[in-house]
Amino acid sequence: MFRMKKRFTMLSALALSFSILAGCGSAANNNSASSAANTSSDSTTASNSASSSTPVEIQFYFTGSQNVKSLWDELTPMFEEKNPDVKVKLVYIPSGTGAQPTYDRIMAAKQAGKGSGDIDLYEDGLPFVTQGQKDDLWDTLSTSSVPNLAKVDSKTMEDVANLAVPYRSSAVVLAYNSEKVTTPPRTLDEVFDWIRQHPERFAYNDPSTGGSGNSFVTTTLYKDLPEDAIHSDDPAIEKDWAKGFATLKELGPYLYGKGIYPKKNQGTLDLLTSGEVDMIPAWSDMVLEQLDKGQLPATTKMQQITPGFNGGPTYLMVPKLSEKKEAVYKFLDFVLSPEAQAVMVKTMHGFPGIELTSMPQDIQDSFKGVSEGFRNFNVGELSKEINKRWQSDVAAQ
Amino acid sequence: MRKEVKMGIFGLCLVIPSFLLLSVIVVIPIILSFIESLRDEFGGYGLSRYVYLFTDEGMRANIVFTLQVTIVSCVIVLAVSYALAVYMRFSTGRLVDLIRKTYMIPIFIPGVIATYGLINLLGNHGWLSRWLLLFGGTLPRIIFDQKGIIIANLWFNIPFTTMLLSSALAGIPNAVIESAKDIGAGRLRIFFRIVLPLSYKTFLVAVTFVFMGVIGSFTAPFLVGPNAPQMLGVSMEQVFSVFQEREQAAAISFFTFLLCSLLGYFYIRSMVKEETAKA
Repeated sequence: MFRMKKRFTMLSALALSFSILAGCGSAANNNSASSAANTSSDSTTASNSASSSTPVEIQFYFTGSQNVKSLWDELTPMFEEKNPDVKVKLVYIPSGTGAQPTYDRIMAAKQAGKGSGDIDLYEDGLPFVTQGQKDDLWDTLSTSSVPNLAKVDSKTMEDVANLAVPYRSSAVVLAYNSEKVTTPPRTLDEVFDWIRQHPERFAYNDPSTGGSGNSFVTTTLYKDLPEDAIHSDDPAIEKDWAKGFATLKELGPYLYGKGIYPKKNQGTLDLLTSGEVDMIPAWSDMVLEQLDKGQLPATTKMQQITPGFNGGPTYLMVPKLSEKKEAVYKFLDFVLSPEAQAVMVKTMHGFPGIELTSMPQDIQDSFKGVSEGFRNFNVGELSKEINKRWQSDVAAQ
Repeated sequence: MRKEVKMGIFGLCLVIPSFLLLSVIVVIPIILSFIESLRDEFGGYGLSRYVYLFTDEGMRANIVFTLQVTIVSCVIVLAVSYALAVYMRFSTGRLVDLIRKTYMIPIFIPGVIATYGLINLLGNHGWLSRWLLLFGGTLPRIIFDQKGIIIANLWFNIPFTTMLLSSALAGIPNAVIESAKDIGAGRLRIFFRIVLPLSYKTFLVAVTFVFMGVIGSFTAPFLVGPNAPQMLGVSMEQVFSVFQEREQAAAISFFTFLLCSLLGYFYIRSMVKEETAKA
C-alpha cells in the first residue's frame, strides 16, 4: 500500500515537472504558431475583401483611460449597425502599459515585411504621428476617401500632413473655485502672483504622473523661451530651463501643504473638490465630466491663460500597409460624423474633432472660452528629462 | 536499483517542480536584471548605475527614507502583533473573542481601497481632523508624509503577523506553562524563559515577512507618500516607466534584493544553526 502511494506521488511529481517544462516550451511554440496564424490571416483577409458576404474585421488599437474605452464601446455598435459589412475589433491598451509597444509592433511588422502587423487603426497623440511620419508608417488621408474630413479644420490637417485624423481634443486649463476667485489670472505671470498672494491655495500634480501638472511645469519652463522651442526636441535647450526650474522651486513653499504635489491628474481635482485649494491646472475634459456628474462643486469654472497651456487633439492613424483600408475609411468617416462627435462630447467631454460650427448649438456654447488658445507642446524625449530634473530640482528641495 | 538510489530519484522528483518554478520566476530574472544593471550609458559594462545610486543626493535620500520606514514599521508591527498574539493566547473573555474574530479583516480589504480609506480618515480635511477641530486640536500632516506610509504598513502587516505569531504561541503546550507556575515561576519569568524562546523562530519568520513586504511596497507609498524622498518601490517605478532608464531601475531593484537577502541570510543561518544543534 505504502509503495503504491509512493509511486503515485512520484508520478505526479514527475507529471508536474514535465508540465512546467512543457509550459516553458509552449511559450516558444506559441510565437511560431501565432506568426503562422498571421500569415494565414493575411491570406484570409484577401479572400475576405474579395467576397463581400462575410464582414471585414478591422483591428483597432487604442490607449487611454477608462473613458476612452467607454467611448469606443459605445461608438462601435452604432457603426456596426449601419455598416454590417465591417466589424471593428477593439484592442484596448490601458494607458501606461503599452502605447510604445503598439507603435513598435507596427514598425517591426513593416521591417519584417509582414504588412501592418494586423493593426488596421491606431489611436495616439501627436508624438506618434510625427514619429510615424519620419518612419513612413501612416497612410495619407483625403476627403475623397473620408468625406467628413472636410469638416475638420484644414490647418489641423496640414499640421500632420493629412496623415492622421484629429477626432477629439482637450486642453489643460486653470480650474478654479469661482466663490473664492473672482478674477482668475489671464497670464502665467498673473498665476505666479496669485500663488504668492494666496499661500497653500494652489496645487499642481507631480508632472511624471499626469499631463496637467506636466503642462504647468513645461509652460513655466518655456515661458521666456522662443515660441517655436515648444516643437523642438533638441537637447541644447536644457540649459535654458534653469530659470523656469528656479521659479518652480521658489513657488514650492507657496503651494498646497508648502510643496506637496499630489499624484495623478485626479489628485489635484480631489483637492479642489474638498476645498483644500482654490485653483489647479486640470484637463478640460476631466473638469467638464466631473462637473456633469456633480463630483466637482458647481462653482468650479475654467480659464485658459495666454499663451496657453498644453493641449491638442488625439489622432487616429491608419497604418500604410493595412490591407483593409476601405473598411477603415468607412469607420473614420463615421467617427467624424456630427452624430458620433456628439456622443464623444457627451461621454468624454472632449472638444469635437470637427469644427464647432458643424455641431449643435448647445455643444458650441459649452466650450466657449476654453476650446481655443491652447498650445501643442511637442518636446519628444525632452519631457522625460523635464520630469527627471523636476524630481531632483523641485520635489527633492 | 538500490534503495538509496531510488530514494534519491524520488527526492529529486519532489524538488524539481518547485526548483523549476523558482528558477523561472525568481533566479533567472534576478540574474538578468543584475546583468542589465551593469550596463552603463555607453553600452559598456560597469558599476556606474550603482555609483549613481549612492552618490545622487535624491537617490541616497530615497534609500535612507526607505530603510527608516521599513525599520520603524517592522518594530511597531512586531511589537503590536506580538502583544496581540500573547494577549489572545493567554486571556479569555468576550473582548478576546471579539479580537480573535475581527483582527483578520484588513487582510480581505484590497490595498488601494484601504489606502483611500486612510486618506479620507487622516487627510488634511479628513474625518479625524474634523473631529479634532471640535475640541480645538489640529492634526499634524499624516497623508503625503512618512507617517502616512507607516500607518498604512501597520494596517497591511499587523493581521498576518499576528496570525503567524498566534499559531506559534498556540503550539506551546499548556502543560509546560502550568508546571512552571507550579514550581513558582512568575509571569515575566514564564514569558522570558518559556514563551519567548519557544516562539522566537516564528518571530524571525515574521520579521522577514514584514521587512520584505514593507521594503518592496508600492501602492500605499505611491498614494500617501511624499513627492521626495520616495520609497524605493515608487522610485523604481518612476525611473522605469517615466524616465525609462531600465538599467537604473534594474540597479535599484537589485539593491533592494540585496537588502532582502541580507535579512534572508540571517534567517537561514539561525535555522541551520538550530538544525545542527538538534543533530
